[in-house]
Amino acid sequence: MNKKKHRKITKDSVTSVLYPLLFGAVIVVLWQTQILHKILGTDTFVLPLPDRIFTIIGDNMGAIMENVKATVIVSLGGLILGSALGYLLGMIAMAFPKWGAGGLTVVSAFNAVPIIAIAPILNNLTKDFSEDANTRSMIAKTLVVTITCTVAMSINAFRGFTELKPFSLDLMKSYAANKATIFFKLRVPNSLPYVFTALRVSVPASIISALVSEYFAEYIIGVGRQIRENIVLAQYATAWAYIVVACAIGIVLYLILLFAEGILLKNRRPRWKSV
Amino acid sequence: MKTNKNKMMKLCALVLVAAMVVMVFTSCSGSKSSEASTDGTAATTAGKYYASDATAESIVKDAAAKGKVGNWGLGNEYEIQALLSKFGQDTKYLSQAFDMNGFDDDSILLASAMTYNELGLVKNSYKGGYKYGDGVKYIDMNEQGVAMLEDNLFTTKKFATENPNTTKAFIYATLKGWEYACANPEEAAEIVYKSGSSVSTEHQAYMAAEVKKLVETDTTGSAVKNYGNMDETAMQQTLDLAKKYIKLSDSTAASKLQTLTLNDIRDTSYLKDAAASAGKFGKLEKTSVKVQLKWLPQAQFMGYYVALSKGYYKDVGLTVTIVPGGGDIGETTAVNSGQVDFGVTWVSNLIAANAGGMNLVEVAQVFQRSGLVLVYKINK
Amino acid sequence: MNQIKKIVQSKQMVTFAWIIGLVAVWEIIASYVEKTKRTPDNVLPHLYQIVESVFSPDLVNGSQTAIQIVLSNAGITLFRAAIGFVIGTAIGFLLALLMNMFTAAEKIAFPYLMIIQMIPILGMAPIVLAITKDIDTSRIVIAAILTFYPVATNTLAGFKSVEKEKHELMYSLAARKRDIYKKLLIPSCMPYFFTGLKISAPMAITASILVDTLQGGGGLGCMLSQSLKHAMTIYVFWQIVFVGAIIGILSYALMTLLERLVSPNKKAKR
Repeated sequence: MNKKKHRKITKDSVTSVLYPLLFGAVIVVLWQTQILHKILGTDTFVLPLPDRIFTIIGDNMGAIMENVKATVIVSLGGLILGSALGYLLGMIAMAFPKWGAGGLTVVSAFNAVPIIAIAPILNNLTKDFSEDANTRSMIAKTLVVTITCTVAMSINAFRGFTELKPFSLDLMKSYAANKATIFFKLRVPNSLPYVFTALRVSVPASIISALVSEYFAEYIIGVGRQIRENIVLAQYATAWAYIVVACAIGIVLYLILLFAEGILLKNRRPRWKSV
Repeated sequence: MKTNKNKMMKLCALVLVAAMVVMVFTSCSGSKSSEASTDGTAATTAGKYYASDATAESIVKDAAAKGKVGNWGLGNEYEIQALLSKFGQDTKYLSQAFDMNGFDDDSILLASAMTYNELGLVKNSYKGGYKYGDGVKYIDMNEQGVAMLEDNLFTTKKFATENPNTTKAFIYATLKGWEYACANPEEAAEIVYKSGSSVSTEHQAYMAAEVKKLVETDTTGSAVKNYGNMDETAMQQTLDLAKKYIKLSDSTAASKLQTLTLNDIRDTSYLKDAAASAGKFGKLEKTSVKVQLKWLPQAQFMGYYVALSKGYYKDVGLTVTIVPGGGDIGETTAVNSGQVDFGVTWVSNLIAANAGGMNLVEVAQVFQRSGLVLVYKINK
Repeated sequence: MNQIKKIVQSKQMVTFAWIIGLVAVWEIIASYVEKTKRTPDNVLPHLYQIVESVFSPDLVNGSQTAIQIVLSNAGITLFRAAIGFVIGTAIGFLLALLMNMFTAAEKIAFPYLMIIQMIPILGMAPIVLAITKDIDTSRIVIAAILTFYPVATNTLAGFKSVEKEKHELMYSLAARKRDIYKKLLIPSCMPYFFTGLKISAPMAITASILVDTLQGGGGLGCMLSQSLKHAMTIYVFWQIVFVGAIIGILSYALMTLLERLVSPNKKAKR
């Protein structure tokens, strides 16, 4: 029974990789043969052909990797800091549910402030943090990403800590478990799926906000910045090379997340069922 | 298994706490260093900046060595890079925001400024100004021999060929607007303000007076009478510097850049015909046209606003819409996509765009000299 | 006495206390900035200065004061955001429906929906512009693209959340596919659909502000960047920060209200 189910999942996962890949291949073929351009009514200047884009990526690997490094450091740094801070806020909110929940409502209001407004403010506020322009603009960019990631995590973590399986809390209490035990044995494991829900939102958001914050940064580096410079200078082929790179970063980080989720949550699922 | 998990949880918690500590620590050390730097400002005002008689070379070398030369980038950086190379410096520069805060707080020692805009904000004490007055001096790109021509008037080759009369009429009326604006800069500033520009009236008036100088003086400092003239020497110098300093990652575009000649970027025939026309053109191929500015609505573009409000466009049979710039969809893209018919850009941007595959052509050169300067503070 | 206690401990009071706390933090930083910077207005002004600027009668351009500029441009941005939001919602819902009907469609579309979200707007903009030839249409289209994803994913999750037993019941009643959707799937995905709307409504507004900055013309984003570039008083920027946040929160509240109107019983259940 179990084995059969396992095989079914594998077949399922094969098609869910195969179908999009096939679709992608069709798109690339349409793109390269310029049929896509006819459908969209655009030209090879605004939407350069894939081979030209990949030639540029190949020619400039060194420079591209340098920009990728800067962007990844910012988005991952902000993601980790923001998620940790969000988790902690969720924890505090759980400890003081009444004040905490209200606080989270206020925190979520930060989501309504556009990044393009936050980025310049933080840029100015962090001017004194370092003598080195690269360092301080890294700090400013990371803080922007941190803010965008904190909100999603804090709300989800709070739900993860508080929306427990029915009776599980009573069961723990009937075992005379103390608060710490309840926290580590019940609440933390319960929050894990919620953490991943938050991360599924935060990972793409962290990259987008890293790219946008680079537009305003003092030090000129990063994939987002290169996209902007090249679009403004009408170098569309180069801009597209960086857009492809930006998408690749996003896909890789998202796949890593799915992989981690698969490993961490798989081991947990049967346990919950037994609870 | 159970203890293992327990350990993992504890580890997680520990990592969390560690992350928090690091955050608190960094923010603490951040504020500490900020205190130190503000103390430093107080102590060293005596000799932190440059002597008022220091040479351009010594200033550029010092600021470059400290990594504190600023420019906005996005195609505005070539003159600065040319100057840096002239004095044997690396061409790296700091990204300067579109305000002068970086210059004000000393994170930039040698900041880019347009004579008609940022320089005025730095010096003057009206609202939004930084009130430095005589406390600052500047290095002029024209004097350093690295001037590149800026605001021009361009369209696509296709549009110009298909709509020659419209193009000529537009040039004619526009230059008439510039002529009036330069003769009456104060009134021109007022017209721009009334047209919806949010630049304060004082700054607008300052800007109009400075822009007049750029329109009526060439790179060598002599007066120019024929508005819109495309001076061969200055254009060639712009193209040569562009070839040297525009760095393109796309090898196809980079090699095309090197093959460009003046004939690929400008066409003087429309201007010549417009000047000879006395305001009479044949049937206009297109009577309703849009022009996209390079930047926000301000006196930098007073000629267009004056031509519109004085009815010069109407007189030649044109209905004109002025589209302000300043966004990331550049004027080159807007014109190339056919969304607007004419655009105002810097010659270097047009060169880069044509290297990238566009087919743009300059039909008039409004600014006759570079308005870019590098501003620095002097020791009191 | 008891009543006062109730008020003090009410939800509104908690929110209020938090806002007071945030104001305090802002003011502390602003005071520090005021002492250390030459132009504190640009870095972080006091809140009362921002409020003062709202009521200032000084004209910022030929005809409008700062707040008039902000509000009239907020209208332009809101209008575009609303159209983009409606289009995005419709596309998102239809996509979710399609993905639920055909597994292959789900498998193909899902990763690409993700990727589209990750293409920077700046990269998308010139293409959309080349297709539409009009900047305002492009702005609406981009706002729609940026908002349909939460609607699509949440609605799909709503379809999937329907218990197997209910499906089986419908089958045993020999219900037609259309009826299954009408009677079972669509009503039961409504809470999820509204979760998607609540996420994407503020997103439509922030996205709309972002696409305003692509080119000149009107809109909050345009004014924001002009103000940052010192083409007008910097207080326009600070006012936009707050007005932007307020309309974002209001849009969320509007969706909550709409949810209550559409499915009042669902709300009571929770």
